[in-house]
Amino acid sequence: MRIGMVCPYSFDVPGGVQFHVRDLAEVFLAEGHEVSVLAPADEDADLPPYLVSCGRAVPVRYNGSVARLTFGPVTSSRVTRWLETGGFDVVHLHEPVTPSVSLMALWAAEEPVVATFHTSTVRSRAMHAASPLLRPSLEKIRARIAVSEDAASTVHRHLGGDTYVVPNGVHVDRFATAPLRPDWQGSPERPTLAFLGRVDEPRKGLDVLLRALPAVLDARPGTRLLVAGPGDPDPLLRHADPRAAAATEVLGAVSDDDKQSLLRSVDAYVAPHLGGESFGIVLVEAMAAGAPVVASDLAAFARVLDGGRTGVLHAAGHAGSLADALVRVLADDALRMSLRAAGGERARVFDWRPVSRQVMAVYETVLEGVRADLAESPRGLWGRLVRGAPEGGPT
Amino acid sequence: MSPLDIDVLQVTTFVVIALIAVAWYLSYAAARLDRLHAKVEGAMSALDAQLVRRAEATLELANSGALDPATALLLADAATDSVERTTEHPLAEDLLDGQHFGGREQVESTLTEVLGLTLTPEVLARLRAQDDELVEDSVERIAASALRVRMARRFHNDAVREVRRVRAKWAVRVFRLAGHAALPERVEFDDDLPPALAR
Repeated sequence: MRIGMVCPYSFDVPGGVQFHVRDLAEVFLAEGHEVSVLAPADEDADLPPYLVSCGRAVPVRYNGSVARLTFGPVTSSRVTRWLETGGFDVVHLHEPVTPSVSLMALWAAEEPVVATFHTSTVRSRAMHAASPLLRPSLEKIRARIAVSEDAASTVHRHLGGDTYVVPNGVHVDRFATAPLRPDWQGSPERPTLAFLGRVDEPRKGLDVLLRALPAVLDARPGTRLLVAGPGDPDPLLRHADPRAAAATEVLGAVSDDDKQSLLRSVDAYVAPHLGGESFGIVLVEAMAAGAPVVASDLAAFARVLDGGRTGVLHAAGHAGSLADALVRVLADDALRMSLRAAGGERARVFDWRPVSRQVMAVYETVLEGVRADLAESPRGLWGRLVRGAPEGGPT
Repeated sequence: MSPLDIDVLQVTTFVVIALIAVAWYLSYAAARLDRLHAKVEGAMSALDAQLVRRAEATLELANSGALDPATALLLADAATDSVERTTEHPLAEDLLDGQHFGGREQVESTLTEVLGLTLTPEVLARLRAQDDELVEDSVERIAASALRVRMARRFHNDAVREVRRVRAKWAVRVFRLAGHAALPERVEFDDDLPPALAR
């Protein structure tokens, strides 16, 4: 099948949507499909061969945060050329209402369109404001996918209608077989905790974790907290309890390989996020790597953790509740063992193999519908006028 | 040239422009509606095709001899109902041009329910242990078509919502842009995957 995928965010900058598009494209390529991905990207950057750049992205403030997007007449003509030369059976747009290249592709596409909605951000006033303008284009979408129930309900609230939920995917085996790193492995005296994510973004909740740490250190004095992720942690650490700051080891931004090894080596992965998460892919990665997960009780996290069956939930933003959960997990070897087993089992649901099969089933279902309405000729406005009896009667 | 002449010319120009605009809008709205109708019909035929596939694969499994007779009879009964409903009301001869589901909801819900009750994890494990290619194949096809039924029904209902939105517009109603096409309706039935087949 010839698949054209469009990603609205800059491909040379890491991000959840970009990774999703990259992984999905690579899975389909490995299965022998032809895939071309259109995305903004710096043309000097090291880009995969299936990527077509539609120009460089510009940082713009949109929907409450800064996103790297692309727009304007140059992009527009590149989108048109990509569609014309691609000859795609299906065009798969990601985040089609973000004012970037996906929206432009939706506008221009004549091919059957499938769209995936990733976000669960509630502040989508733009979606409302522009809806008379967008509505006719949105009608081109033949199948709407959401990556989670939360993303689906956002779509329902702002655009109405049904979506089919196909979760985000993870290469489970890569995490399950990553090499252990002895310096990140815990011991009964010195257990290790991992935090992953931008350290200077308050909603990732590192601050809550640092406030919970003194109580954890009271119970387990040797506990080490390994913090991996971009951003400058110094302002947070300066204001944190000195014992908590001393127990924290900052790893900075880590490579994919190191992330896998980190999650595989530690005694628990902590996700103290405060909100704004529509999925929680890193929780799946942690489960795949066999790390016991302690996460805040956001709706999306609770769903990924199967209602708390495959991880321990704490009250979001509540340091005391997080400390209790961590102490309980670190103290109980049997609990950690059972969480590792249950998490590993749970992660299989999100493996790219079943997930990509579902996406392929969406494409096939859509194409079946397209073939059916092509078979019914005469079609289109001219057919209606000539036939006189629009839509009615057997053909 | 009297002032009256200029007025007439201007007015005529405006009227012509206005008429062109109205004509453009109506033809645009008609084309949009036509596209939406086509989408609903396509989605409906995809749903129909998957339901037929699901029923046929179920019948095949029922007749394979791999199941105990009671289970086989239950499955065959539910699947036959579904197949009969499809052949009694072939969509191509449907006067409503395939936009109606022909009251099949109950039959399809029943098949879903029977599949869920009979294809338990234990039964599936036993079927797979038989290492029979035909049995394996029909189980696979039941799983694949049941998944696609779920998808197709959602995509159909989403398309129905869009058609109904556009057809509620006054211009569409006043100028009868929908012609004789029946107003499409949502299709509601139980399409849960048998838990053991959900992947």
